[in-house]
Amino acid sequence: MQIQLREVTPDHIEKEKRNASQIWGKDLSINNGEHLHIVAPSGSGKTSLMHFIYGLRKDYSGSIFYDNTDIKKLSTESFSSFRQHKISIIFQDLRLFENQTVTENIEIKRILNPYHPEEKISEMARRLGIENKLKQIAKTCSYGEQQRIAIIRALMQPFDFLLLDEPYSHLDEVNRKKAMDLIYEECEKRGAAMVFADLKPLDFLKGEKVVYL
Amino acid sequence: MPLSYKNIQPLIVSGRKTSKWLGYFGLGIGVLLLFISIQMFVNIDYLLQENNPRKSGGYDFISISKTITNENMGRDNSFTNSDLANLKAEPDIAGVAPLISNKFRVRATAGDIIPFSTDLFLESIDDNFIDTVPPTFTWQPGQMVVPIIFSSDFLEMYNVFAPAQGLPQLSAKTISSVNIILECSGPYGSQNFKGNIVALSDRINSLLVPQTFMNWSNLHFMEDTTVHASRVYIKTKDANDPKLISFLDSQNYHLNKDKVKFSRIKSILQNIVSALGVFGILVIVLALMLFSFYLQLMIAKSKDNLRLLLTLGYSPQWLAKSVARTWIPVYLSIIIVALLVTEVFQLLFMQLSFVSAANLSYYPAWSVWLTALLLFGLTIFMNFKQVRKELDNIL
Repeated sequence: MQIQLREVTPDHIEKEKRNASQIWGKDLSINNGEHLHIVAPSGSGKTSLMHFIYGLRKDYSGSIFYDNTDIKKLSTESFSSFRQHKISIIFQDLRLFENQTVTENIEIKRILNPYHPEEKISEMARRLGIENKLKQIAKTCSYGEQQRIAIIRALMQPFDFLLLDEPYSHLDEVNRKKAMDLIYEECEKRGAAMVFADLKPLDFLKGEKVVYL
Repeated sequence: MPLSYKNIQPLIVSGRKTSKWLGYFGLGIGVLLLFISIQMFVNIDYLLQENNPRKSGGYDFISISKTITNENMGRDNSFTNSDLANLKAEPDIAGVAPLISNKFRVRATAGDIIPFSTDLFLESIDDNFIDTVPPTFTWQPGQMVVPIIFSSDFLEMYNVFAPAQGLPQLSAKTISSVNIILECSGPYGSQNFKGNIVALSDRINSLLVPQTFMNWSNLHFMEDTTVHASRVYIKTKDANDPKLISFLDSQNYHLNKDKVKFSRIKSILQNIVSALGVFGILVIVLALMLFSFYLQLMIAKSKDNLRLLLTLGYSPQWLAKSVARTWIPVYLSIIIVALLVTEVFQLLFMQLSFVSAANLSYYPAWSVWLTALLLFGLTIFMNFKQVRKELDNIL
């Protein structure tokens, strides 16, 4: 699968920002297996870009293509199919079911299109250090723990593209490393592309194409 | 664990339990009212039609005569050809048949078995207007046996006064074996025939002979072929049609009201039952509206969770189907319980004395089953559509 951005510009963006950007108003394509690191300070539109690509918002000009299909023309049903099979996301605002347990939060994504068996949840939780939190209600976990839950949830499905929107903002160095290793591993298994957005370039990222928003 | 509604059920916040149960109750009452009224409609239709000799092939056959008043009595009050043509021209009247009577004298004796002798009148009418015409109801000149269709009302009347006169009472079966000698006489001759009652008519109060016999004998004994009909039978879709009745009134024609009373009662009963059915439909609509509000509230309360499910890749179609499907057992149980109660109602109805003799079915009518099926399909479809609409709204 390939994702193409053709002159994508948010409806409400200052001209200077647009001109300075390596993404807004430009053409960009991401293919399977590629790693794209998007660097931008707060308020420059990282989350908007992720939402545009994931199809949650349409308030932009230009076009985004999944292979040859303009996603503005995709039906809600087609989007759900893409989100089940081709594209996964870790939201900046995490978007967990607050009153569900950690396991339930992950399981609800896994059963939709299982890539991993159920046991994989506890294995990943162990690797990220939240194994003892699995039965806890999500809202009672710390933000850092919730970030790790969102990461595991995103890795439960098959995908060609993984979108990460500041996924480590509340993780310490050690946990960041652990999470990154897990994500790399999972992307490699699937031969998937990774689009990683963060405030500054991260030194432990390897072989990424870095673009400034 | 395969994907099912169970997985997402905890994420759907339900509305107020009371409004849900009130909705179930209302729907149950409405469905029951509808089923019972349909069943009663069918029952009434069946019961009253079976006993209704006037009605056949969807037509009413009623007799009319000219109203005798002080002004016109003593005059010729028979129907003229133009009267008949006028009647035929009336759009509500599908057919007209005059009852033609004998102009010669007829005297009947019943032979030795019943020492009975009386002057008679005979009439003939188009065979299509008679409710019971056996194949033997024909006559050719030279035939000595004249088939007669006898009014069952007359037989009843005869059986009332027969014992007082020392005459034997007769059953509908034995009357056909009574030999009647018809002594026909007029200025141009006289002849005896053997009369044979071949059928009883519930519809026409008369002694009917084949038209061929009436024409032949009026000509043979009286040399008179003019038609004098003081009674005319009309064939109409609905004898209770106010337009028809006002037309007949305007022509000063007298309609036998007793004969149409039966279908008036039927029409009143069916109107009452229909009103009950309409009320049932109204209750169903109200209950479904209550459900619809309940559903809206449920989806509004679960809006964030549903939106997140859609964001995670859950298909709106699957979600709508799964949520709508949870109501299937409820709707199904309501309809099954209503069908069972209708069945019990039908069984109780069959116990009534005036019903037990009739050949009514012990089971609900097919129209009730069909309504049940349609109602079930409709409610599920409406639910699905509504959930889908609400989901599209939150996207």
